[in-house]
Formats: sequence, C-alpha cells, structure tokens
Amino acid sequence: MLNIKCPHCGDRSQKEFAYGGDGTVKRPELNKDVSDKDWDNFVYLRKSPRGKHIELWHHIAGCRQWFRVLRDTVTHEIYKTSKIDEDI
Amino acid sequence: MSQISPLNLVYQKGKFGDFENKNEKNLLKISELTNILIFQIVKFKNSTYDIDKIQIDNLFLPNSLQVSSNLDTRILWFGPNNWLVVSSKLDLLSKEEKKFDEQNFALTDLSHSKIIIEIEGNLTNEVLKKGCPLNIDNFKEGNNANSIYNGITITIDCISDSPKKVRIFGLRSFGESLYHSITDASMEYGYIII
Repeated sequence: MLNIKCPHCGDRSQKEFAYGGDGTVKRPELNKDVSDKDWDNFVYLRKSPRGKHIELWHHIAGCRQWFRVLRDTVTHEIYKTSKIDEDI
Repeated sequence: MSQISPLNLVYQKGKFGDFENKNEKNLLKISELTNILIFQIVKFKNSTYDIDKIQIDNLFLPNSLQVSSNLDTRILWFGPNNWLVVSSKLDLLSKEEKKFDEQNFALTDLSHSKIIIEIEGNLTNEVLKKGCPLNIDNFKEGNNANSIYNGITITIDCISDSPKKVRIFGLRSFGESLYHSITDASMEYGYIII
C-alpha cells in the first residue's frame, strides 16, 4: 500500500486515490490537423519505464483533484507530487 | 418539503453491542442528524473573485482541511475552491445566495442527498480507525477531511475533542451501508442510538 502526498490534502493512503496513467502524454493541439500516427500515439502508445515515471493520480475520495506523481516503478518510492498546472 | 431519513427503515433507538456492566457515560453515542440545511459552494476555475470578501452567517470560507463554525453553521473545506455549508438555519441558502453571482460560483442544495451520522464518546477514534485510512489521532477539533470508510466515500468533521465528537457525511444512497459499518465497528465498545 502506498502513501501518496496529495498537493492539496497531504499524506493519504492509496485507498483514496485512483491511478490515471502516464502523466507525460500531451493531447494534440485543438483545431490543427493531426496525422493518424500522431493520434494513434496519443490514444494508445504508452511508455512503460523501469524506474522513475511521471504519473497522473486522482484524489477521488478526497479533494477530487488530479495531480502528477513522480514514482519509481521498481521501488514504488514517490519522489515528488505536484498540482496539475505545475511542472514536476 | 419534509425530509425522509435514509435510515428510516433501520434506525432504532436503544442500547446495543457489548454495553452490559459498562458505565453509560463511557458508551458511544450515535445519532443521525436530520432537518439540516446542506449546500455546496463551488468557485469556478477561471474566476478571479476574492473569496475573502465573502461571509456566510458571519463566517469566512475556510482554508484547506479546516472548518469555520458558529453555533448554527459549519463551513467545511471540500477541496480547492469547494466548500460545504451545514446549518440548522434552514433559510440560510435563500438569504445568502445573493452574495454568489452566477459568473463566479455555483450553489447546490444537497440537503436531501446526504446522510449525517454523529458519533460521540472517548472511543470515537477507535471506531473511525476500523474503516478509515486517515491518521485519526492527528485529527483535531476544527479539522475536516474527505476519506473513505469501508470503501464508502465520506467526509469527517471533527466537532470537538473533549468529549470527542465527529460528524460523518456520506451519500444518502450509501446511508444504510455506512450506518451498519459504523454500528458494527461500535459493537465491541457498546453504543447508544439516540
């Protein structure tokens, strides 16, 4: 079980959170032509690194906010968390 | 409109659990709060309105994990730019809604969609610890937090430290399950439903 530091609420149990996937994926810009490959990459292509990984988490049973987590996928150590509009 | 309690079919006053040969003062007291006004205030993300200008029932909107309160009304921090107002003044929303313009705020009356269970007694923390992953011992008067209790999303509002008294808010549809979870956890200590 992880303890995750929500940027709004502080240290909380993983039970209160929902995992939201890779936090580095950027949606293709709106109102611009997007190639099939770029769209396919955005929808399906995900990195699965061994080591540090930036992830999205949702404090679904807490403040209901999305935020970013820098986590080690091997040791599960959480190095840093940040609000969604801040760089990690 | 009259309010029908979500515990209408299960709420029964009396002593329950392991209460025999115990001092009645040491038993947990569990009750359901009804006929209370609950409304949510949300400030829109793109709004630059200064919330320090706003007072509800002479109370400022609190900062994170805090509660501001007087005898009738409690305002709970519910998340960034999100507050829950709980008041025994049933006309408070109609009186205060003029302060919140539609460009910056959304007000929602949740009076009929929540259940409030109040637990009082020295063993309140032990009951909470059985189902909630929060660090309950650090939870003091004037704090509030959203969390879970046996998988049910709840809000805990700490009313007082001595005697220990908390209010647990849950969604009405989970009311019976939440009530049973809390009363089951209280069995070994003995409890009075009032």
